[in-house]
Amino acid sequence: MTDAGWILSGWAIVLGGIGAYALRVITRGRSLAKQLPDEDKTWT
Amino acid sequence: MLDQQAEMSSGAGSVTSTGTKATRALGIACLAGTALLVFLGLVGTPEDEVQGDSVRLLYIHAPAMWVAYLAFGITALGSVMYLWKRTRSLTWDRVAGASAEIGVVFTAVGLVTGMIWGHLSWGVYWTWDARLTTTSLLFVLFLGYLALRRMPAEPHVRAKRAAILGIIAFIDVPIVHQSVEWWRTLHQDATVLRRDLDVQVDGIMLFTLFLGFIVFTSIYAWLLLHRHRVAVMEDALDEHGLELAIEERRAEGMATA
Repeated sequence: MTDAGWILSGWAIVLGGIGAYALRVITRGRSLAKQLPDEDKTWT
Repeated sequence: MLDQQAEMSSGAGSVTSTGTKATRALGIACLAGTALLVFLGLVGTPEDEVQGDSVRLLYIHAPAMWVAYLAFGITALGSVMYLWKRTRSLTWDRVAGASAEIGVVFTAVGLVTGMIWGHLSWGVYWTWDARLTTTSLLFVLFLGYLALRRMPAEPHVRAKRAAILGIIAFIDVPIVHQSVEWWRTLHQDATVLRRDLDVQVDGIMLFTLFLGFIVFTSIYAWLLLHRHRVAVMEDALDEHGLELAIEERRAEGMATA
């Protein structure tokens, strides 16, 4: 593969960026869920 | 059991995350789809006759920008639904806000992959081309939208301000998409979302590109569900905090009287 470094970096940035954002959303959700009663969690 | 009782007495319930069976199943499907996309995008497809291996960036760049369009479209829809008196609800405001945040993430990664592709194909990371300029404007507009949402205000005041800005900012989405037709640009014409529906890719490369669209759209749906639930809890926590503050003030008032 020519320009493999650039191409792999591009993929890493996309998947890493989306993965990091997903992790942030999940950890924030867990942190908030511990502070609230189940009545406030409308998806349950 | 004791732990559960302790959690309940401290105000927390038995539900400790934003996940459900459905979101877990969707999450697993997203991971499997991403693994297949990585394999096909980096190994299982041939290089392009004209672009060479840099075409491999387009399997993630185009889907990322599609999700950005979709996310900002949902923000605009949520904003309209909030402003329309018949459907006015903070749920629409939360959907709009959650979707805009995801849209900004996908626009950012779309811009970065576009810059790397530009470096390999044009020899420059950035040029003030119509497509690139309108896309960066879109990014800044929705960053402003997110900043506006963080300004302290009564929930309905915040929702109304955000809805108006969300609709105004969305106007840039069709401008971004049409920019390659309206102005002479360095950026190539649309490959998939074409008015004549004549997709300019074939075989396994087309399959990989469409897989990218499906996987990224599924990831968007998964993120939106979780981010919306986080927004529900953030608002609930604000409300509880307000109730607590009012109770404290009342107690203070009673004590001084």
